[in-house]
Amino acid sequence: MTAETAGRIRGMDWSTWMRRRGWTVGVWVLLVLMVVWYAALIPKFGGFQIASISKNSLPLVYLAIGQAIVVIAGGIDLSVGAMLILTNSIAAQLMLDQPLGVTLAVAVLVILIGAVINGVVGWVITVSRVPDIVVTLATSFILSGAALLVLPSPGGGTSEGFRAIFTGSGSGSGSTFWPSLVAIAIPMALAAWWMKGTRTGLSLYATGSSLGAAYLSGVRTGRAKVVSYAVGGGFSALAGLSALAITGSGESRAATGSIFTLRSVAAIVLGGVALTGGIGSVVGAVAAGIILFTLSPILSAMGIDPNTGQVVQGVLIVVVMMVAGVVELRRQRAA
Amino acid sequence: MTGINVPVLDVDVPPDSRWRTALRDHPLLVLGVVLVALVVATGIIEPRYLGLSGLRNTVLLAAPLGILAGAQTILMLTGGIDLSVGMVATAAAYVAANQSPRGAGIAIALGLAVGLVAGAINGVGVGVFRVNPLIMTLAMSAILLGLFTALSFTVLQGSTTVGEFIETLGGGSFLGNRIPYNALVWAVVSIMIIYGLRRTGLGRLLYAVGDNPIAVRLAGVRIWQVQIAAYILAGLLAALAGILLAGRTGAVDLQLAVSFLLPSVAAAVIGGTSIFGGVGSYSGTILGALILGVLATMLTFLNAGQAIQQIVYGLIVLALAWLYARVTGTG
Repeated sequence: MTAETAGRIRGMDWSTWMRRRGWTVGVWVLLVLMVVWYAALIPKFGGFQIASISKNSLPLVYLAIGQAIVVIAGGIDLSVGAMLILTNSIAAQLMLDQPLGVTLAVAVLVILIGAVINGVVGWVITVSRVPDIVVTLATSFILSGAALLVLPSPGGGTSEGFRAIFTGSGSGSGSTFWPSLVAIAIPMALAAWWMKGTRTGLSLYATGSSLGAAYLSGVRTGRAKVVSYAVGGGFSALAGLSALAITGSGESRAATGSIFTLRSVAAIVLGGVALTGGIGSVVGAVAAGIILFTLSPILSAMGIDPNTGQVVQGVLIVVVMMVAGVVELRRQRAA
Repeated sequence: MTGINVPVLDVDVPPDSRWRTALRDHPLLVLGVVLVALVVATGIIEPRYLGLSGLRNTVLLAAPLGILAGAQTILMLTGGIDLSVGMVATAAAYVAANQSPRGAGIAIALGLAVGLVAGAINGVGVGVFRVNPLIMTLAMSAILLGLFTALSFTVLQGSTTVGEFIETLGGGSFLGNRIPYNALVWAVVSIMIIYGLRRTGLGRLLYAVGDNPIAVRLAGVRIWQVQIAAYILAGLLAALAGILLAGRTGAVDLQLAVSFLLPSVAAAVIGGTSIFGGVGSYSGTILGALILGVLATMLTFLNAGQAIQQIVYGLIVLALAWLYARVTGTG
C-alpha cells in the first residue's frame, strides 16, 4: 500500500467511512440495543446476567471469528461444528481430573491439533481444486466420526481453574463477568489486527476478493487459503475448549456440531461478511454471534416459549437478509 | 472439455490416461463399476447379501435418499443448495402421519403441501430477495424445527404413526417380496426428473441458470421464476422422500430425516453434479445414492459402529470428489 492510498483511507470522509464500516457499526448498535432491551425486560439485571450472556455466547463467537476468516479468504468451512465437538471431546478426555497446569498444556495442544487438521483440509482444497463446500462437508463427517471414537458417550472433565478462565468461576456459573468479556475481546482484537494490519491477513482479503488478481499480483493464494483454514481450525478448537469450560464435561453428538455450523454461517452473514469472499470484518461477526445467542434469553424473558423463539429467530435472520438483499439490489441499480 | 486440456493430460500422466478419458467421457460407466465392485465386495464379506433380499434391502435404503438427492441435484444445477431438505422431509412426514386417520390420499396430499409451501418460501427468498441459498435454507430448517416442535404439543398432537397405505408404500414389496414399492416410486420420479431435465424448457433453464445467470438474464429469462420453480420442485421431492421414509420406519419423530441432509448432498456430488451449477445429471445422482446405500449395508455387515461409518462416508465422498476434479481438470 503506497503512502498516498494509506493517507486517503485515513483521511476519508464520513460517508465513505459509513459505507465501509456502516454494517459493522450497525450490528454493534443492534447488540447494545438488544442488551438494553433485555435489561429492561427482566426485573434484575446485573453481573450474573452479563456473565451469562457473554460466557454462553463464547463458542459461537469463536466459531464466527474462525468462519469469518475462512470466508473472507474466499472459502467456507462447513466442518467448524464438527471440529468443535472433536476438540471438545479430546480436551474433555485429556483434562479429566488434571491440575490447572496440565489442562492449560492440553488446551494449547488441542488448539494446535485443530489448526493442523484444518490446515491439512485447506491444503487438500488447494491441491484437489474440489469446492470448499464439498471438502468441508466430507471432513465434517470424518471429524464428527472421530469425535465419537474419542468420546463415545458424554463425559470427561476439566479443572476448575480452566473453567474460571472462560467463565469467571470454577463452577462455570457466577456473577464475575469480566473474564468472559476478556475472553471475547482479546481473540477478537488479535484476529481483527491480524486480518487488517498484517501482510498475511491482507493477503487473505486479496485472495478472497479476487483469486486471479491476487495470484497475478504475487500473492501466494494457495498459502493464504491454507493459513485461513488453519487459523479457522484454531478458533474452532478454542470454541470446543470454551464449550468444555461452560458445561464442565464433553459431548460428541454430531447434531450439536451441525447446529453450531449453521449458526456460525448465519452469524458471519449477519455480521456483514459476504459469502463471496473478500468483504467484511471479524468484529462484525463477533457482534452478530452474541446477538444470535442473546435472542433466546430475550424471547424467553418476553414469555415466548423456546420453540416459538426458534421460529422467531429464524424469521428474523431471513428478514434481515432480505432487507440486506433489497438494499444491495437498490445500490446496484443506483450505481 | 476444452481442446487444450486433453493433450496436456495425456502427456502428463500416460499410464492412467485411458482411465481418465474413460471417466471423463463416461462418468456413469465408471460410477457403475464402482457400484458393482462395492456390491461384490459386500457379497464377499457376507455371501447371503448377493441374494434378492439383500439387494432389495439396499434399494429400500437408497430410495428415499435418492429422491432427497434429486431435490439437491435440481438445486445444485441452478447453482443453489437446499440445507432444509432434511427438515422439510421430516415436517412432511409428520403431517402425513398426523393426518393418516383421515385417509392416505389426504395425508399424502397435506404432506406434499408442506413441501410445496416450504419450497415456495425458499424460492421467494433466494429468487426475489437474493438471500444466499445457504442462509435461506438454513433458516428455513430452523424455522420448521421450532414450528413443528411447538405444533407437536398443540395442533399436531396425536398420531405419530403412518397409515397402512403409506407403510406399504415406504416399506413393503411386491412380486413375491422382491421389488419394494418405494423403488417403484423412485423409478417413476427418476424418469420424470431425467426426462424433465433433458427435454423440457424448465429443465434446460435450470442448467442454463446455473451455468451463466447473466447470459440467461440477458436472453430475457426471469431468473427468479426459474429459481422459485426449482425450490418448489425440491420441496415437493423432499416431502415425498420424507413420507416414504416415514412409511419405512412406521412412526415419525422430529429427527426422522435430519441425518439424511449431508448424504443427500454427498450423493449428488458423488454423481458428478457440480456445486457451482450447470454441470451434472440425475442419473449420476441415482448411482451416487445406490453407492451410499451399498456402503451403509457393507459397514453394517462389518459391524462398524456409527463412528467408523461416518469416517468412511466422509473419506469416500472426498476421494470421489477429488477423482472427479482431477479427471475433469476443473473445480
